[in-house]
Amino acid sequence: MIYTLPDSVLASAQKSPDKVAFTDGKQTLTYSELLRRMNQLANALLEAGLQKGDRVGVYNNRGLETGIAIYAIMRAGGIYVPLDTGAPPQLTRYLLEDCGIQILISHPSQRRKLKALLSEVTPLQTLIGWTGAEGLQCSSWEQLAEKNGSFQSPFPILEMDPAYIIYTSGSTGNPKGMVHTHYSGLSYARLTADLYDIDESDRIANHAPVFFDISLLGYFTGPLVGATTLIIPDAYIALPASLSQLIEKERLTIWYSVPLALTQLLQRGVLEERDMSSLRWVLYAGEPFPPKYLRELMLQWPNARYSNIYGPAETNQCTYYNIPDPPQGDDPIPIGQVWGNTEALIFDEEGQQVAEGEVGELLIRSATLMEGYWQRPDLTQKAMYIRTNAAGFEERFYRTGDLVRIDEQGRMQFLGRKDHQIKTRGYRVELDAVEAILVAHESVAEAVVFPVPKEDDTIAIGAAVTLKETDAADEQLLRQYLQQQLPFYAVPESIRILESFPRTGSGKINRPAIKADLINV
Amino acid sequence: MEQNIIRYIQEELLNGREDIELEAEDNLLTEGLIESMSMLRLIQFIEEEHDLKVQPQDMTIENFMSVEAIVQYIQRTKSPELQ
Repeated sequence: MIYTLPDSVLASAQKSPDKVAFTDGKQTLTYSELLRRMNQLANALLEAGLQKGDRVGVYNNRGLETGIAIYAIMRAGGIYVPLDTGAPPQLTRYLLEDCGIQILISHPSQRRKLKALLSEVTPLQTLIGWTGAEGLQCSSWEQLAEKNGSFQSPFPILEMDPAYIIYTSGSTGNPKGMVHTHYSGLSYARLTADLYDIDESDRIANHAPVFFDISLLGYFTGPLVGATTLIIPDAYIALPASLSQLIEKERLTIWYSVPLALTQLLQRGVLEERDMSSLRWVLYAGEPFPPKYLRELMLQWPNARYSNIYGPAETNQCTYYNIPDPPQGDDPIPIGQVWGNTEALIFDEEGQQVAEGEVGELLIRSATLMEGYWQRPDLTQKAMYIRTNAAGFEERFYRTGDLVRIDEQGRMQFLGRKDHQIKTRGYRVELDAVEAILVAHESVAEAVVFPVPKEDDTIAIGAAVTLKETDAADEQLLRQYLQQQLPFYAVPESIRILESFPRTGSGKINRPAIKADLINV
Repeated sequence: MEQNIIRYIQEELLNGREDIELEAEDNLLTEGLIESMSMLRLIQFIEEEHDLKVQPQDMTIENFMSVEAIVQYIQRTKSPELQ
């Protein structure tokens, strides 16, 4: 019976050992190979001293080794923590420290970034996948081939045990780790498999990096149903004309990504020359899809069905809307309804259910809900609404912070964030956190960070600052400073230096006025 | 030309990370040094610097995998007789 995520690999390896589990378009990994390599790496992890519940970092770009790594960590009884190799080294060191990660799994392709990461003290003791680090126990992927290919778990692992921790940005500037269990991950895999009829005949495109919850469809749902997942290598992500060639060649049936990836394919993917008739579902999530591009795409690929998926990573996603026809106008696409095993509440400011059709905050209770934030019971408590059920036990709802409304057709519409959080290129950014970092600069007196709607309907980040002394800093200096502290997508596109900020009557910074001035420049 | 592109990548696209040294033959893509938005900026930079238009069908891994490949692509595009 399948009750942990690695059980999916065991079951599929037994049922169809020679079926390809993961491919990168060149190399393939069958289910029996995945099972063996997962077991070998799990054995290596135990030899490195892994104890049940230990966090193990995955520091690699999109590739077969990433798939092996996450399953091996969970198989060994550990919790995998995917790390963004594009993040500044300081930020990654903070995550290693925060999560107490002693074992890191990486790849020789990351050697440059590893060198930078390890140039200062970290809690790491073991590095698997690259042998060039001094002071750490190192081993290579090749050496793993000598390990035992069968595995006997020394720890009991239950479905309610933590399986992975995905980090997000936090409003204080420090990222929060969302702790998910085998149960929440498997629930996600089962619900998506059911909703989109995914089975062993499917070929799933995994476009998202492993630290993004969108990647769970390819990494979890694929192995659960015994399908093949194409882990699209990073090289293709940046070059749409090559990416569309790969989709065609691999005869993919299910696509899942942020809308931006589809827009780029549409604009630079030379789609008119490609045969995409194998695609039966195009799924997207992460941010709203500008209707004009969605319309164009639906006309370009008429054979596929389209679904808008919504949900914060705390819930592993939770609602869907199957788009019946290409959108006529420019009205936003609904986020639809909650999927199975999930309940939604819409609350007003006072914490009361809103009247029909009124706007309120969306709260979610679901089988896919996280356990809580890593070692932050305070934040977990704040994020949850507790309802007592008939038996006197607690039911936990996650407060999404997103405003929604049920429209006349009974579909949920997304209306934006309650607070200052935005989505840019599919990434979540807390504008308050960016502001706090700017203000922390020695030359900066005040800072305002705001979303800038772009012509192509995406959202960029703009910033304005006042300085303590004239000419104490310039835009380039502040940009470099932010780049040291923030992931690339959170660094404002423009940083304007103003003499002073306009004020409101009560003396507060007049944010709308600053924003209006700068956006119209 | 090579140094000019390397400088642009290092200063503008690699988040000012001086710890990453870049050589012309380094693979920009497999190491994840350049993500998709950075690639668009790099293409824009090349178009402006070299007064050419990169066609969508030319935006491929073969043409943009390294600074070396980019330089060759620019030379081919600027002087079609080399093709």
